[in-house]
Amino acid sequence: MLRLKTLRGALLGAAAMLAAFGPARAADPGVTDGEILIGLFAPMSGQLAAFGFDPLQAAKMWYEEVNKKGGIHGRKIKVIVEDDKCTPTEAVTVVKKLATVDKVFLVNGGSCTAAAVAAQEFVTREKIPFVMLNAAGDGGVFPPTRYVFGAFGGTQRTVGATIMEFAIKELKGKKIAFIAHDDDFGNSNWSTAKAVAARMGAEVVAVERIPPRINDVTAPLLKVRAANPDVIISTAYPAPAVLIAQKYAEFGMTKTPLVQAVQGIPIPAVFAKNVGNDAALVNFYYGSPLNDLTDGPKQQKWIQLYKQYYPDRTPGAFMTYGLPSAMAITRALEKVGKDLTREKFVDAMEATEFDSGVLAGLTAFAKDRRDGYRSSIFIRFDGKTHTLMPGAYSWNGKDGM
Amino acid sequence: MTLLILQAIASGVVTGCVYALIALSLVIVYKSTDVINFAGGEIVMIGGYAGMLALLYLGLPYILIFAFAAIATFALGALFDRIVLHKVLGRAVPGQSILVAMVIATVGLSYVLKGGVRVVPYTEEVRRLPPFFTGEPIFIGPVVVQRQDIAIIVVAVVVMAALWAFFSLTLTGKALRATSQNPRAAALVGIPVRRMRMTVWGIASALAAIAGVLLAPKLLMTPDMGVIVILAFAAAIIGGFASLPGCIIGGILLGVIQNIVGLYVGSNAISVAPFAVIMLILALRPQGLLGGRVAAKKV
Repeated sequence: MLRLKTLRGALLGAAAMLAAFGPARAADPGVTDGEILIGLFAPMSGQLAAFGFDPLQAAKMWYEEVNKKGGIHGRKIKVIVEDDKCTPTEAVTVVKKLATVDKVFLVNGGSCTAAAVAAQEFVTREKIPFVMLNAAGDGGVFPPTRYVFGAFGGTQRTVGATIMEFAIKELKGKKIAFIAHDDDFGNSNWSTAKAVAARMGAEVVAVERIPPRINDVTAPLLKVRAANPDVIISTAYPAPAVLIAQKYAEFGMTKTPLVQAVQGIPIPAVFAKNVGNDAALVNFYYGSPLNDLTDGPKQQKWIQLYKQYYPDRTPGAFMTYGLPSAMAITRALEKVGKDLTREKFVDAMEATEFDSGVLAGLTAFAKDRRDGYRSSIFIRFDGKTHTLMPGAYSWNGKDGM
Repeated sequence: MTLLILQAIASGVVTGCVYALIALSLVIVYKSTDVINFAGGEIVMIGGYAGMLALLYLGLPYILIFAFAAIATFALGALFDRIVLHKVLGRAVPGQSILVAMVIATVGLSYVLKGGVRVVPYTEEVRRLPPFFTGEPIFIGPVVVQRQDIAIIVVAVVVMAALWAFFSLTLTGKALRATSQNPRAAALVGIPVRRMRMTVWGIASALAAIAGVLLAPKLLMTPDMGVIVILAFAAAIIGGFASLPGCIIGGILLGVIQNIVGLYVGSNAISVAPFAVIMLILALRPQGLLGGRVAAKKV
């Protein structure tokens, strides 16, 4: 009898020990005792690959770095990479494949807003955490939904708000001309820019909403010139941005500062070459979410690390944009602890706030906030030399909402 | 206000000349083969990239860049006719139109060209050819005109004049016109109709390529720049799809209308303007401004 009691006690004790210190319960797909499976996607081919290839490689590099240090609570991160070519249909297919075939724990991807936003419905329905890579993602983060996190390089609302604040504060603009596209990006830019101008008491003397495929910017630039602004802001894409800079010089407007948003000047040297007119850049500024010039001292740490991982590849201008999302994911995974579930991960993401060492401000989320980043810096560029302007500018999350 | 209008017109004429050249390439093919060439825009794009490669790898001067792009695309157009369209035509069933299949073949060509050019490393970024002429802009009264823009107008006018001379004064040109009016009768008098069709596709492609090289320093190059063909269609419809002078006028009018609309209606109406004009023209004068009445039916 005594032996039976002893045996039962021993069994109960063993069960209690197992419950306390045994292997973690893996309630959700993509998590095992030794591994967390993450689906990573970006445009890896096609015309827009420049926006996604290096950021995706950088995110992969970050996960490898974490693995080198022992992983997260004993689990190594394993990634499965897919190419969405920046198209919404491909993005949805890729996310469905990652979730249903590969059974990943979470999806980390998307460098183009339309493609990233297209995946939102599926991940929300299936309750899969979806952390965008470097897409602006306005449509995916406003209004906030539980499983989608994004805008690690800032939304287009942030772009609009910060560029307007820079024009008013730093360039002393009182009469502003604003050129934006007549699409969702342009709507987001203009919504916050208008609100910031109103709050800061600047007058917007011309608003030109141009088609993304415009061939001739004569009419909008003539109207801007006629309005006689003291600062001109453009949030145009690369091709129209070049046309605007050319026409701005052609019409002799170079005494008025021209500020171009980051999306129009992905590679400043190429932009200057395409503009092909030094006069267009005598009074020219552009915005950036980074904490330094793309090859500045604060970015060098990441560039050198990237070169160690990929010695045959010269990193593109967007490389470091891929790091903050991967950093946010590993921080949240760390915070959850051993008992990892998707719901706990989402809760941890909502409480994430950190300085990435990549961007000019903090990366932060909250229960009612899914856009991770809200700051910009500005750089004066004369075609050869980049000069950092003082300070960083941040959107307060309220203007234009 | 007058200055604004004059400036808008001057710029519109420059852009319109390029639309006109592309429209000419579409109309020549249509008049000779009844086929609407949906790959016209992509041939413009290929012309631009051919020009860029000629500049980067061969270091050619501009005059030879035009020639290089024109010859390369002449071969492309002629081969497309010989290899694809000729085969499609050969499968025609008596009594059934083969035109739909031929038009679909041009759509296929557009996708092949756009996809093919993306494998070239230089197409990953927005690029631009250097301007033909640099230097201070020229003032015509109060209107500012770039030297580059004057060069675009001159090249476009020279090409149009050369095209007119070719069709009016040369034996091959006259044979092409005869083939377009009545291929069966042309064949009966000994005109090699098959070769004439190849020549038409070659000439049309060369014209599109010249437009591409003219555009490349002005509008920047991407594999998607072929969408400009929509504006060339608009120009051709405005001027009259069967009229060569009509599509020149249509192109220039369209360039000017876009700028005037941008000035007085709004910049976001610029892309809508061509389609509004198309609907207006189709409603009021379906044959276009210079289309005229159809005097004889093809047999």
